Amino acid sequence: MRCIRAIILFLITINLFNCSKKNNTKSLRIVSLSPAMTEIIFALGGEHYLVGTTTFCTYPEAAKKTYKVGDFSHPSLERILAQKPSLVVVNPPEQNHIIRELKKLKIPLFISQPRCIEDIYKEISEIGHIIKKEDQADSLVNFMKNNLKPIKKDKIKTVYVELSSRPLITVGQKSFLNELISLTGGKNIFTDIKKAYPIVTQEEIIRRNPDIVILLHPGNIKDRLGWQKLEAVKRKQVYKNLNPDILLRPGPRLVQGYNKLKKILSE
Amino acid sequence: MNKTLFVVILFILAVVLSLLVGPAQLNNQILQLRISRAVLGIFAGGILAFCGGILQGLFGNPLVEPYTLGAASGAALGGSIGVLVFGTVSPFLAFLGASGVGFFVYTIARLEGGLFRDRLILAGVVMSFLCSSLVMIIMVMGGKELYEILYLLMGYLGIIINTTNRILIIFLIIISLATVIFLYRFHRELDIISQGMETAAGLGIDIQKFSLIIFFATSLIIGFTVSIVGAIGFVGLIIPHIARLLFGPKHLYNLPASFILGGTFLLLADTLSRIITVYELPVGVVTSLIGVPFFIYLYKK
Repeated sequence: MRCIRAIILFLITINLFNCSKKNNTKSLRIVSLSPAMTEIIFALGGEHYLVGTTTFCTYPEAAKKTYKVGDFSHPSLERILAQKPSLVVVNPPEQNHIIRELKKLKIPLFISQPRCIEDIYKEISEIGHIIKKEDQADSLVNFMKNNLKPIKKDKIKTVYVELSSRPLITVGQKSFLNELISLTGGKNIFTDIKKAYPIVTQEEIIRRNPDIVILLHPGNIKDRLGWQKLEAVKRKQVYKNLNPDILLRPGPRLVQGYNKLKKILSE
Repeated sequence: MNKTLFVVILFILAVVLSLLVGPAQLNNQILQLRISRAVLGIFAGGILAFCGGILQGLFGNPLVEPYTLGAASGAALGGSIGVLVFGTVSPFLAFLGASGVGFFVYTIARLEGGLFRDRLILAGVVMSFLCSSLVMIIMVMGGKELYEILYLLMGYLGIIINTTNRILIIFLIIISLATVIFLYRFHRELDIISQGMETAAGLGIDIQKFSLIIFFATSLIIGFTVSIVGAIGFVGLIIPHIARLLFGPKHLYNLPASFILGGTFLLLADTLSRIITVYELPVGVVTSLIGVPFFIYLYKK
């Protein structure tokens, strides 16, 4: 499957390269439905090509002022078309319905679907090529590569991440945070679950007894019944109110998330 | 009386199972957690089935369930607004939603003359539709909030027992015990009304007033229950039927049976939802999945 996806992505990209060769970059009009890609385009200095983003694209500050075509999972086709895009950056599978429509209209697509950090580097290079910012793309990739090096630890600490407390949503194998945790020398307690954001039971969390708890929401676990004997609570390794975007969004800010995690895991 | 024994044994079995079975090793902390969860399950299931039984009796309609009068959709709306505003389901807003919708249903039902009882159902259904569409708007707008609303709509017993929730559960027990005992005293009137309105009127029962009392009392505890555990389906609709199949039409017997069977059934469903996968399934999904085949089997017998 992965191989097929890679080939498809490759073909699409080649297609895009051809498009971008035909049209010069002056006529490039990009609508980005991917918050991470919006961040990348801004980081590469290509924001003047952006003619539309989603309401989820809130970073950097200037991204908030771009024309909004809808939210992440329900962008409006009409608003996208109104911007006369020459390229639409899309995120399957959440946006599959809109991708289908855009394909019918033969609008060139950049399908962003990174599965791992290595994929992000590839996508940065690809979009860098399209917006003719190859040098910036190379230096961004190098910067990320240098700052996202795997750390070896003698004792591997186990980590539980909570995205929501009702229901209890955590991160599984297919999330970037899972990879980031192992990169910084820790182990996600739900790394065996193949989904990206699984809903888990309280008992399962207590049974797996994490050394560190990270809450990505404003709640806390001080007064939770049954949680007080967790290693993380006993050793006061509960971290609250972290910005989920730096840990979950497959963009340049993963470096911030990595540094934050590194600090947490070395405490 | 064989049946009573059967129901009691089933209940004890469900309690023991829910305390002993689960993914984690049984220790003091886990036991506390499971006890709280079992108490919540017994009361939520009991209240839903009990109110379902009363409302089916009052309206003489086997398709009425605790949510027909709008309390659940009101709670779902309030809870969803809480998700939007505070980022998490707020039981207080959910209860506010349930009471608000209850008030609207009451006002609509009183708008014109005619029998209050019959207008209640219509008003409840109409308000439910309105709330559902508002909830849908919020769901369409939301990202990860979607799950929180979904679990509120499907029912979820795996809530975290923190200080707030502990107080809510204690409140739930007190309010529901008081209301259940209060409503149970009307079992004779319910028997008469379910035999026919003319008989009831002939025997001097003030149906307007009686419907009003039942409407307010059931809306109060259903709204409260739904605010905590979400709109768990099936229990309030089918358990009263099973209680009637086993114990006959007399509310003196079938109402307490509904309560116990409702609690038993929800406990069993919750135990299952906890052990099938490492994922937490919404308990409302499990209640329907195991409840429907069981009901068909019982009905055939």
